[in-house]
Amino acid sequence: MPILNISHISKSYGSYKAVDDVSFTVERGSVYGVLGPNGAGKTSTIRMIMNILLPDEGNITLFDTAMNDTLKNRIGYLPEERGLYPKMKVLDMLVFLGELHLMPREEASQKALEWLRRLGLEEQKDKKVEELSKGMQQKVQIIGSLLHDPELIILDEPFSGLDPVNTNLIKDIILELKVSGKAIMLSTHMMETAEKLCDRVMMINHGRVVLQGALQPILMDHGKSSIQVEYSGDASFVSGLPMVETADIYGNYLEVRLKEGSSRNDFIGHLLNNIEVHSFKTMQSSLNEIFITLAGEKPNE
Amino acid sequence: MNKIITIIKREYKETVFKKGFIILTLLIPVFMIGVTIIPALLIELEGDEPLTINVVDESGLVAGSLHSSLTDTLRNGQPKFILNSIRSSSVTDQLVATQKSLIEKELIDGLLYIPASVLDSNRIEFFARNVSDFQTNRTLNRAVEKIIIDHRLKNSGFDPHIVQRLITDISLRTIKIQKGGKERDSDFTSEYFSTFIFVLILYMTLIVYGTSIMRSIIQEKSNKVVEVILASVKPIQLMAGKILGQGLVGLTQYAIWSIVAIAISLGGSSFIQMKGNSLMNISTVTMIWFVVYYVLGYFLYSGMYSIIGVATTSDQEAQQASMPITLLLVVPLLVLTTLVKNPDSSLITGLSYIPFFSPIIMFARINMSTPAAMEIILSLVILIVSIIGVIWLAAKVYRMGILMTGKRANLPEIMRWIRAK
Repeated sequence: MPILNISHISKSYGSYKAVDDVSFTVERGSVYGVLGPNGAGKTSTIRMIMNILLPDEGNITLFDTAMNDTLKNRIGYLPEERGLYPKMKVLDMLVFLGELHLMPREEASQKALEWLRRLGLEEQKDKKVEELSKGMQQKVQIIGSLLHDPELIILDEPFSGLDPVNTNLIKDIILELKVSGKAIMLSTHMMETAEKLCDRVMMINHGRVVLQGALQPILMDHGKSSIQVEYSGDASFVSGLPMVETADIYGNYLEVRLKEGSSRNDFIGHLLNNIEVHSFKTMQSSLNEIFITLAGEKPNE
Repeated sequence: MNKIITIIKREYKETVFKKGFIILTLLIPVFMIGVTIIPALLIELEGDEPLTINVVDESGLVAGSLHSSLTDTLRNGQPKFILNSIRSSSVTDQLVATQKSLIEKELIDGLLYIPASVLDSNRIEFFARNVSDFQTNRTLNRAVEKIIIDHRLKNSGFDPHIVQRLITDISLRTIKIQKGGKERDSDFTSEYFSTFIFVLILYMTLIVYGTSIMRSIIQEKSNKVVEVILASVKPIQLMAGKILGQGLVGLTQYAIWSIVAIAISLGGSSFIQMKGNSLMNISTVTMIWFVVYYVLGYFLYSGMYSIIGVATTSDQEAQQASMPITLLLVVPLLVLTTLVKNPDSSLITGLSYIPFFSPIIMFARINMSTPAAMEIILSLVILIVSIIGVIWLAAKVYRMGILMTGKRANLPEIMRWIRAK
């Protein structure tokens, strides 16, 4: 049974259509990924779910109720634009956020300490927020959105600003929350992360849904097998070859998809004549590539 | 409601424990003590040494009676002035010169020189190391003056005692008629001072707490905490919590000041017999009006300042954009002298209905004269309606504008926020 049900929402700012007829559902015990480049409409969609923006059209239902502000206590929201009060002590800040979700003071304080211990921040509890490093502040921020044990967790770019160690720590926490039956909605422009974490994904671009569904079938259906080559030399000729459908060329790495029916050997022949090939493999294309195919542009720009 | 209380608590704690608040709260009482107690104390502690003054009286009119005229005593009961009449046949210049060197060597404190021509020239001279003790100067001057005048009166055939009686000053006692037929002794100085101090405190606190709302909104936007807070509360709850929290900070400050003021007037009353008495003569009614007008004025101005806070992105921008609002607060100060002279003039009465000015001007009018109940009620109603309007506008602007970061909003944009559903 879906915990969050978005049906045909749209939002315009003046003549600019930020979100255009978007629908999806998020279920308990799963991670739903909202993917797309910056400016695709992810944050506007989330702000509408959080009742911070009102949709021009469409409905949002949460826990089988039309979205309203009392439901906010059951959501854990980590906004993309996030910050803390710099002069507050870490523990006080967390207790304050807990109390804003109507947690009793003692409980908020106890839960905050548990989380701080878990994320290795126990010694920082009496420091002022501004004395913490960026990464530590980010972790405090994540604790703040999980403290009140929400049923729906909305994380907008949760990994930005985290080093690889902490990124893994947060990934583990997300997966653990999923196992414990929480519904998690994750918005990111980092496709690789989404591929590892999400059960279902939605790709949006310019406010419109490009693709949505369960992750595995998407990879099967849309991911044509592609060829990945590591090389040195000038590979700019590759995109002009007759058998190439799409080419994604970097300085010493390229990823191409061939037109149906064309021969891999012919392609390899061209490569051997023009550049120095270090490695060559064919594989299923990534979400990143699927997005490029469908949206016609690169998501990381 | 619980959420608003949580926000109020945070705002309150953060501001009350800030250095700025503590400093301002402590400085004002120190200032109050400074202007009331210290002058009184200083007079108490004035030098207990008698002054030795040599008198050179060439006219022969003064020296004889000066002893009986200068009867001032020190606190220990000893006479304040020890007078030595110097008689000499030598040339005056020489005599004065030797006396001056005595002063220089600190053997005597001063020389009072009365020339032979005093009756015509009306001039006497006083030499001393310290001539800035105006009380001593005045005492000496008066004493000699009285002796000379008495002498002239006698010479003209008048009895100085009768003349003295005839020319006694008439003193004007001013009594203020208050509501309910109560009367109390009051005069221009006490009226002016109590009104002026209250108006100044109103003006200061309205600016301080209004702009602190504005700055705190800008800070929340720039450190991006605002959306985190909006994850659990409505924009209107956040705004209400901030305004109420800062308002309570202001009231706390007033409470501390009142306690200090009461303590001073109780504990220090023996010192403050002169000005202090009328200064501290503040009725409870005045205090209640004061708090009422602070609270109402605060709501009005914090609403206006918070609109500026939402529309701007930095303190500097906000300072410029809030100039017109600050100028509105200055207007009552500009008309303060007019107000004290005639609190019921048509200009002042008119201004006391305009909501931007009424918190200060109506309060001052109530303090100084007795405006009709209808006038007060009308001005209160206009003020409260305006507060509701401003807070409603601020809430709209706040809801739409709080997440618009990065650039300063212009007027058309603010109008769009207000019209948005």
